[in-house]
Amino acid sequence: MTAPYLVFDGVTKHFGPIAVVDVPFDYRIEKNQFVVFLGPSGCGKTTLMRMIGGLDEPSGGEIRLEGAPVGPPDRRRGMVFQSYSSFPWLTVAENVAFGMKYRSDIGEEEKLARRDRYLDLVGLYEFSDAYPARVSGGMRQRIAIARTLAAGSDVLLMDEPFGALDAQRREGLQVQLRRIQKRDAKTIVFVTHDVEEAVFLADKVVVFTKRPARIAAEVDVAERLGADRTLELRESPEFFALRNELLHLLREAAGDDER
Amino acid sequence: MSDAPGALADGTRGEGKAVMAEGAVAVGSRPARRRPSRFGFRKPLPRGLELSIALGASLGLLLLWEAVARFGYVNTLFFPAPSDVAAAMVHMFRDQDLAWHAAVSTARVWSAFLIAAVMAIPMGILMSSYRVIGAASEPVIDFIRYLPVPALVPLAIIWFGVGEETKIFLLWLGTFFQLVLLVADDMRRVPQEYVEITQTLGASHYQILRDVAFRAMLPSLVDNLRVTLGWCWTYLIIAEIVAASSGIGFVIWAARRYMKTPEVMAGVVLIGIIGLASDQILRAVHRRMFRYL
Ligand SMILES: Nc1ncnc2c1ncn2[C@@H]1O[C@H](COP(=O)(O)OP(=O)(O)OP(=O)(O)O)[C@@H](O)[C@H]1O
Ligand SMILES: [Mg+2]
Repeated sequence: MTAPYLVFDGVTKHFGPIAVVDVPFDYRIEKNQFVVFLGPSGCGKTTLMRMIGGLDEPSGGEIRLEGAPVGPPDRRRGMVFQSYSSFPWLTVAENVAFGMKYRSDIGEEEKLARRDRYLDLVGLYEFSDAYPARVSGGMRQRIAIARTLAAGSDVLLMDEPFGALDAQRREGLQVQLRRIQKRDAKTIVFVTHDVEEAVFLADKVVVFTKRPARIAAEVDVAERLGADRTLELRESPEFFALRNELLHLLREAAGDDER
Repeated sequence: MSDAPGALADGTRGEGKAVMAEGAVAVGSRPARRRPSRFGFRKPLPRGLELSIALGASLGLLLLWEAVARFGYVNTLFFPAPSDVAAAMVHMFRDQDLAWHAAVSTARVWSAFLIAAVMAIPMGILMSSYRVIGAASEPVIDFIRYLPVPALVPLAIIWFGVGEETKIFLLWLGTFFQLVLLVADDMRRVPQEYVEITQTLGASHYQILRDVAFRAMLPSLVDNLRVTLGWCWTYLIIAEIVAASSGIGFVIWAARRYMKTPEVMAGVVLIGIIGLASDQILRAVHRRMFRYL
């Protein structure tokens, strides 16, 4: 077993009287793992992600990355926000390049190459010179994804990044993301409402109860489906079995009002 | 029919934006289209039509005024016809150095405005970026903002005498405090997400301010500068009737003493014209700077 990389140690969080995470939250994520958070709307997934990113502080307990408590946001933890944003005054290409703006460790040429690579990956190359206001919502989301990937953080925190995409683009990007994660050895925490997406992407799926967030179940997908994820896998009986299992868990976790 | 050239002209102005050009072509080539209503709710009007309506309405008002004055419905001593005002203005340009007075006024307005802007922009940005600075300065600024500028004229004369400084100070007073709060508000409205994205890319506070927050607030900042410049012109008269011997305000005040109503009106109209012109220029700058919006 590898040493834990990202550790939640008794984390709680409340905003004033509202407890978002009230039972101390303990969880460990190993290096280079793809972990998917699945849970009812409003259960606190975004809040957990923001605390990893350092944008919110836990009310109690701590989150450690490689043994050290996480501090304010930095380049090691990249985020794709739920309401994907791009900067309206920059072109699509400039937005993607912005991800590397504050990196002095890579040269200009390498930055341009990376910019083009990720533009191409999300299928926005021909829109390089357009301004975000002139492209569709789904394209804007892809800008944010490309920017975060280009930034090259060790930990990627992705909050429903594929929400506004059509099914085909979504599948394509899922395959790519999985590939990038294994190739570049990234640790990814990914939030989604889409159970199939969760099964397809995850090494581990964490199912949350409704607020306040508690872990209802943890499913080791890697153990059941292996590390290799291809589109064919989506049609396999194992995939479906796992999907149904998760759907069931999610329904239970969501509680009485859903039954 | 008349709107087709307008639509095309609009399309070509968004040069390089394939999306827009395509839209314009599609509109132009569609054959029989139902004539759009002139009262479409929140719908644009064809550019040509909009211009003619704007000009027509202004011209109509002038004609009405002229008629009312000509046919003796009002005493022209108090309410001269537009033609008399125009004649007075021509005469003033020719014999009373009105152009020079206008230049003096413009210089005063712009220097006060620039001083106010240069001070207010950094101050406003700091106020909403750091709560400590905001908390310390907001009450004072909010208070001064509500002091009527005319009431401070005596104080200004005590402090600065009757020279240029007093006039600039009064104009500055009318704009600076308003502008600071507007700038602070613009900064506050920069989406928190922009800031957070930039933080996770490893930027320092200064880099966030420079590269993101300032850029994000820039369009509304330029807009607010435009509005504030307008206010500056409205304070001009107050500043220039205080022992001045130059400027449009002085000209108006001098004409008033002899009941030369057409000249008074000509001065007022000139301020309006200069104000309108600078406003339009700043609007054009805004459109040019922020094509991406
Ligand atoms: N800044 C805040 N102040 C007060 N309450 C907050 C704040 N942020 C989040 N909350 C509350 O915390 C709860 C969890 O929010 P969070 O955004 O983490 O949910 P989520 O699981 O991401 O939901 P979704 O799936 O809909 O995105 C919500 O009930 C919300 O009202
Ligand atoms: Mg959320």
